[in-house]
Amino acid sequence: MSEKYDVLVIGAGPGGYVAAIRAAQLGLRTAVVERDRLGGICLNWGCIPTKALLHGADVAHTLANLKPLGFTATGVDFDVAALVEFSRSVSERLSGGVGYLMRKNGVDVITGSARLTGKGVVDVDGAEYRADHVILATGARPRPVPGVIPDGDRVWTYFEALVPAELPKSLLVVGSGAIGVEFASLYADLGSEVTLVELAPQIMPAEDVEVADHVRTRFEKRGMRVRTSTSVSDIDVGPDAVTATLDGDAITVDRVLVAAGVQGNVEGLGLEELGVELDGGFVRTDQWCRTNVFGLYAIGDVAGAPCLAHKASHEGVLCVEKLAGVGHVAPLDHHYVPGCTYARPQVASLGLTEAQAAATGRELRVGRFDLTASGKALALGEPEGFVKTIFDATSGELLGAHMVGAEVTEQIQGFGIARSLEATADDLAEVVFAHPTLSEAMHESVLAALGRPLNT
Amino acid sequence: MSEINAIEVPKWGLSMEEGTVTVWRVSEGTSFRKGDLLCEVETSKITNELEAPFDGLLRRIVAQPGETLPVGGVLAVSASETVSEAEIEEFLSSRGAHPAPAAAPTQETAPAAAPAPTAAPTPTAPAVPKPAASSGSTLVPESLQGQTSGEVFATPHALKLAAKLSLDLDKVTGSGRAGRVSMQDVHNAIRAAGGSVATPPPPARSVLPGRTLKDDSEVDATPVARRLAGNLGINLHDCRATGSRGRVCEADVREAERKFGLVTTSPEPASDAESPVEFETVAFDSMRKAIGKRLQASKRDAPHFRLTADLEIDALLALRKQINAMVPSVKLSVNDFIVKACGAALLRVPEVNVQFDEQTQSVRRYTYADVSVAVALPSGLITPIVRNTDTRSLASVSEEVHSLVTKAKSGTLAPEEFQGGTFTVSNLGMYGVREFDAIINPPQAAILAVGAGAQRPVVVNGEVIPRTILTVTLSCDHRVIDGALGASFLAELKRFVESPALMLV
Repeated sequence: MSEKYDVLVIGAGPGGYVAAIRAAQLGLRTAVVERDRLGGICLNWGCIPTKALLHGADVAHTLANLKPLGFTATGVDFDVAALVEFSRSVSERLSGGVGYLMRKNGVDVITGSARLTGKGVVDVDGAEYRADHVILATGARPRPVPGVIPDGDRVWTYFEALVPAELPKSLLVVGSGAIGVEFASLYADLGSEVTLVELAPQIMPAEDVEVADHVRTRFEKRGMRVRTSTSVSDIDVGPDAVTATLDGDAITVDRVLVAAGVQGNVEGLGLEELGVELDGGFVRTDQWCRTNVFGLYAIGDVAGAPCLAHKASHEGVLCVEKLAGVGHVAPLDHHYVPGCTYARPQVASLGLTEAQAAATGRELRVGRFDLTASGKALALGEPEGFVKTIFDATSGELLGAHMVGAEVTEQIQGFGIARSLEATADDLAEVVFAHPTLSEAMHESVLAALGRPLNT
Repeated sequence: MSEINAIEVPKWGLSMEEGTVTVWRVSEGTSFRKGDLLCEVETSKITNELEAPFDGLLRRIVAQPGETLPVGGVLAVSASETVSEAEIEEFLSSRGAHPAPAAAPTQETAPAAAPAPTAAPTPTAPAVPKPAASSGSTLVPESLQGQTSGEVFATPHALKLAAKLSLDLDKVTGSGRAGRVSMQDVHNAIRAAGGSVATPPPPARSVLPGRTLKDDSEVDATPVARRLAGNLGINLHDCRATGSRGRVCEADVREAERKFGLVTTSPEPASDAESPVEFETVAFDSMRKAIGKRLQASKRDAPHFRLTADLEIDALLALRKQINAMVPSVKLSVNDFIVKACGAALLRVPEVNVQFDEQTQSVRRYTYADVSVAVALPSGLITPIVRNTDTRSLASVSEEVHSLVTKAKSGTLAPEEFQGGTFTVSNLGMYGVREFDAIINPPQAAILAVGAGAQRPVVVNGEVIPRTILTVTLSCDHRVIDGALGASFLAELKRFVESPALMLV
């Protein structure tokens, strides 16, 4: 007789393992199937190891800017292999942490590749498991660009970009979403000559145009070449270099990184046989993460954009609580999932861009505060960037918040809390922000939206 | 004419026999309106809110949190302000309810019999009950008399009492935080100075004018204030609005809490002496107790008889396979078919679709079939109900069972999801049980025990051929269902199960 679970989760990334913990907490017999490493892309090949590398990039930037602070460093060597080693060790440690969490919560971990062989029936490398509820949390992988075939050597995806054997002298980054922009910034800081290409009219197409322009300007000041509204063609991989054509202009680079978004991992799971409906390569779900198939759910990247770890975790909890009958479960508003890009400068945003907000036809109040007037930003040596807030003029509702500059990724949660509690511009204006902090800029931005800024 | 009313443990559902008070939402001395939330009462399966059955003033809480009373037991007493404590005592003893939980319960039962107390009782006297019925006999020693001058840090009650007794609060030492003078301090001071106190110190909760009962959902308040007020049972209309932009803030709710005397100090937790044990004692939780009690009573009181039938399910399995293969959103189990077939059969044989009321010796016959489904849990079992099984489609029955089973395991079932029903299906087929019989789930009068379907040899026209057979056993309460009636129900069930297309029309 096959093992029977109440909830079986396929994929142990930040969506799947969180869903499994929540299900176990609710008293449901739970298992999670993982074919590779616990923690998924996020812990092993995404969010976390890139942050470890970017920490190295920050140090490189600091070393290059010691003079104003009175330091001189000589004889500084850089071994990219050591930095990669550090990045891998961070992932290793966290993946082990997920294993501990599974044991602690009584979640069975099944290692292998899962395939649905029927409704509520999952085959893992020949062993059959049954479950009342099956949650797909299989994530996503890099989306290929026509004519640009990653070969693992000259043409990279983020997998190779995370573990370079040597620092490329020059790097062409195709795609300027969060992944492309982070690697572009990282390699530029480490010393590569970087060209960033985007098909859309602005880099970071999901971000507010003002933020994107700011990032572009700062990238260009650092010597990066940025091209928008540009397509890449005629990739020719040679033994020592890659040549490509950027809208007619030939370019020769050491390496190419393809970072043109992701596609859902929907293959090989038996979804077609079960009649699971897809939507643009992702599994179609309703507001409670239910697919069209009985007892089958999908969360996180495989269920569509925004493809972010924290969106996956949130959906994992939401999905499990709904199926378990927990009261007061609210659907996720995809617009208000914060997005963070850990480049230099950092970008963090929540809600509608100014253009999207204007398109709603509402009367807006937009506030903006430049970090040039922030004492803390000046003291940190990064007095560039700004905080932009967009409110509905009538209700005071926070429609969007866009931040670019030092450590903004750590601050966006303030606007998330405000939004979640339905705080108005007036409520935020009343809050006492500590001085001197970077977050004071958030306050000033709100005051500016209300027409009464203090420090500009 | 003063009237005394009892607030009783209600009967939620036929199976409910007793209730345990978990928390009071209204304090003594508070007036309430019909429909207000008074307290929460835990039954064997759920915790439910008790709404006031009438308008009134809560004079006495009889059942403290944690106390268990039978249905109809007196939880509290409601009476107008003119009714004396003695009258309430009399009322309570006439109802055979618990004595008053106050410090000196015997006192009020001796109404004004003894003469007024002599002066100068010993300081140790407070514990001794004073035979007096009204506060008129409180003697304030001269040394304490006077008018309170200026600002004294005292509770509102203490201030009121001092004014009433013409007592100078400056002469009383406060024992509260920052030297705040409480009523208890006033009473102690009177006794210490040689006076006497007629009534025992009233509980911390005291009589106050009634509170607002209006809907406060539109009162402008901060999220914290709204949540806190909800938890404390305070109406936002009763709070001042001193928060930013005229909103009621947390401090306003806390102020209202003090105003209504809802602030109570929690008693010291009893410390258990640790001693080594050789075994683990697992106390029965309320579900375990309920199962034991109800099923023991059922087995004892209901004369069970059992009817067993073999159902051929080959046609059912074929139909199930066809539907499941062709409709992604549907996954029917054999049990879903059985539940649906029971619903159909119950309407065909309505004499089985009943609840038995033992007290009135009558049955309630239903026009729709609510079928309970037994769900095994680590801590026991529960029987959530698939409502209107007769009119639901098979897919809808299936979806509902699927959802109810997970809710049962998560402990998130709402009371209405498992209270009631006329019939239960208990299926142990997934454990490989061939057949068994089940104990009736009162007030229902019948239960179907379903075993595992398996291929068995069947003789047809003198030939032995394999057929998939499912054995079911119907347990009936003979007080309600006779043998022939049970047999006709089984025959209907067999007809639906063996010709499953009938369930689709």
